[in-house]
Amino acid sequence: MDKFVTLYTLAVTIGIYLWSVHLSKKYSSPLTNPVFLSTLLIIFILVLSHIPYAEYQGTKEVLTFFLGPATVGIAVPLYQQRKVLYQNLIPSFAGILVGSVVCMLTTILTLKGLHLSSEVVRSMSVKTITTPIAMEVAGIIHGDKVLAAIFVVLTGMLGAMTGPSIMNRMKIYHPLSRGLALGTQAHGIGTARAASEGELQVAIAGVAMGVNGIFVSILVPSIVVWMIN
Amino acid sequence: MKKKVAIVFRLYAQVLLLYILSEIGNFIVEISRLPLPGNLVGMLLLFLLLITKMIPLHWVSEGSSLLLKHLSLFFIPVAVGLMSYKDLFLHQGWIFFLCILLSLWIGMYATGKVSQTIALKQEDNVKENLKSGEQRYG
Repeated sequence: MDKFVTLYTLAVTIGIYLWSVHLSKKYSSPLTNPVFLSTLLIIFILVLSHIPYAEYQGTKEVLTFFLGPATVGIAVPLYQQRKVLYQNLIPSFAGILVGSVVCMLTTILTLKGLHLSSEVVRSMSVKTITTPIAMEVAGIIHGDKVLAAIFVVLTGMLGAMTGPSIMNRMKIYHPLSRGLALGTQAHGIGTARAASEGELQVAIAGVAMGVNGIFVSILVPSIVVWMIN
Repeated sequence: MKKKVAIVFRLYAQVLLLYILSEIGNFIVEISRLPLPGNLVGMLLLFLLLITKMIPLHWVSEGSSLLLKHLSLFFIPVAVGLMSYKDLFLHQGWIFFLCILLSLWIGMYATGKVSQTIALKQEDNVKENLKSGEQRYG
């Protein structure tokens, strides 16, 4: 029975994902963002079929299993684009580092100012890094792993949905900078969005996602100790 | 048909290799007690192996591009987890959204502006060097 439910939800998840990717190519809009649209539709279907999230665990395990090898796979675009990275080493690293620190400080200060629980603050402080890394780091800094993962995905979704138009308003037009901002602030989902802007953008976004993951993993434990305790 | 089987098998082997590397990363983290995620160490390891040519690019390139192409899919089940945090999000959801959007936009501005300013300055320098070179040698 359990296996049947897993098979059913897995088929539903992959089917809806493929359809929403097709839709997002046809009608490009923040609302057709594949992660956003799929999540909404899947929750709707699970509620309609009376399947609680606990019974969705099988599908979750199957699909999140791939996040480990996928993270390792980021090394490939990193390697292929190493020349672009070497040429733009200073602007890239400065942009990623400043953006990463500014974002962490803004997040922690805002949440602390609004008196949210320390667990929520800890879980949200890792929100800009890609899910598999974020869950591990959240564990290291004693946050809630699942909540952290949800914040990460929400951040990526909002980043991919609002990022390009917000950057137009902010007069950030340089392809390097657009890729960097999407990868640094919206990790894998932002990188997927950067793919529709161009080759340089997506490559540099992949690099930014990886480098930002390293920066945050190293910096966040001490920032959290310094600001929360 | 034979070709298709070969492609599937190759992708399978490549994803397996990436998985083994992430497990090696986990193992390194476990024995060294580095405060870093294992899969990140695996990524750095693969980058090193590629740079030193100890692993040829074509051993991992197709598997990696397949996984990265569908990266969004692997996030979806996590996002669906929202449904089990219904109460938390009904009460504090707007704060979360506000905080995420605020820090996201400020962060994007910081990353974008800093990198754009430096990159444009570097390009200007390159142009100026070219110009002075032209004047000198042209």
